[in-house]
Amino acid sequence: MIRKIQKLWPFAAAVATLLLLLQVGNWVNPLIFPSVPSVFVRLYEGVAEPKFWKAVGASMYRLLIGYPIACFLGGVFGLLAGLYRGFASYLRRLIAILQSIPPITWLPFLMIIYGFGDVPIIAIVIIASFFPMAIAVMDGTEGVVRTHLEVARVLGAKKSQIVRRVYLPETLPAFMTGGQLAFGNAWRSLIAGEMFGSAMVGLGFSIRFAGEIADMSGVILYIIVIGVIATLLDQILMEQVKRRLLRWRYIAGGEGK
Amino acid sequence: MHTLELRNVSKRFDSLQVLDRIDLKIPQGEFAAIVGPSGCGKSTALRMLAGLETATEGDVLANGAKITGPSPERMMIFQEHGLYPWLTVEKNVAFGLELAKVPKPEAKERINAVLEKVNLKGFNHYFPSQLSGGMRQRVAIARALVMDPDILLLDEPYGALDAMTRLTMQNELIRIWQGTGKTMLLITHDIDEALYLADKVYVMSPRPGQIIHTTHYEAPRPRDRSSEEFVAYRREIMKLLGLDE
Repeated sequence: MIRKIQKLWPFAAAVATLLLLLQVGNWVNPLIFPSVPSVFVRLYEGVAEPKFWKAVGASMYRLLIGYPIACFLGGVFGLLAGLYRGFASYLRRLIAILQSIPPITWLPFLMIIYGFGDVPIIAIVIIASFFPMAIAVMDGTEGVVRTHLEVARVLGAKKSQIVRRVYLPETLPAFMTGGQLAFGNAWRSLIAGEMFGSAMVGLGFSIRFAGEIADMSGVILYIIVIGVIATLLDQILMEQVKRRLLRWRYIAGGEGK
Repeated sequence: MHTLELRNVSKRFDSLQVLDRIDLKIPQGEFAAIVGPSGCGKSTALRMLAGLETATEGDVLANGAKITGPSPERMMIFQEHGLYPWLTVEKNVAFGLELAKVPKPEAKERINAVLEKVNLKGFNHYFPSQLSGGMRQRVAIARALVMDPDILLLDEPYGALDAMTRLTMQNELIRIWQGTGKTMLLITHDIDEALYLADKVYVMSPRPGQIIHTTHYEAPRPRDRSSEEFVAYRREIMKLLGLDE
């Protein structure tokens, strides 16, 4: 219990700092900055509205389609690059070029092809999260210990068995890192895509709409919601999955590393 | 016919000549060792016998047949144990058995028997990171032994261990090997280790490696490292390697 509190207090302090800043803003200029209590009242009311949940649902839907596709593709390309050196250097160059372009800039182009709706935003999410995943997995495959591969060969493993039983588990930590980086990118681009247009529902759209009608507590409300959802997914869900899958890494060591 | 044989074998990596016309014959059941300075190509020779490298010239044979790749008949034990950190001791040892599709109950039995043999009974569910260096190397040996190979190829298996653990492990290795009829080939730069363990010690020159001398030392085990004979053999090998004062 005490250890839990010790772990939680920096987080609580960070949240408190942000709320304090908002409150200070309210004291300085109440027209722009809503007060903290009024935001919480608004949050309480907003959460009760079906409109709010529709926005959350629409954003989550796009995320849950785009993000897994990107992780899968990134993982496959990263693994292939790990197995074939020539492909790796090609992929690195390609990513270096494409990654310098903010994913959101593809949106006008995608909207001309696919029109309004979910598809352009899902595509943006995929573009945004593919690169960190592919790079992380590629780096991971390069770190595969040579002895591990040779041991498998001596014990009679075929190439496909080596991929499944050595490459995959050995790059799993890289998959997790890549997945977490990719998630951050996916989330940011998702919200940006929704703000830009192409869909009339979603958290990004809601925040833009609130801004256009100068509903400042609405803007703050959605900023908080966007931050809370991302933090919950990343810090709690992903960390838990990571700790479960990489259990061997978190076991207290003996004399060794 | 010999269990392991190198026939006039040379090896080059690009322009670097590593091995120069090596001949080596190891009969079944013999414990042989190769000693030589680091970089003399002794590991390369062993890796060829394991099927992990190919010869540039000459023939690499096992039981009279050319070696084309790794085989479960010839297990290699690496200097850096090469255990999979994401698998428990038991799963590490089970790796080869699973590949060979050995039925679960039989595998379980064999794993427990081999863990007992290497003094790791009850450590089935530990991860490698929870073990000491010596214990990890024991698991690596167990992983090879459980396949019941005819031949064990040991590439400086104790090179990374402290001196005291090394002595214990050497005695364990003798105990594991004696009476099994398995052929052992040990690579080491530790002359004492080679003389303590092996019946036959091949001495290799610096690169490009050549076998410059073969010692037959067949004293009963356990051997006394300070016996006159032992010391004389050691002096002889040191002289060959230019290590005498």
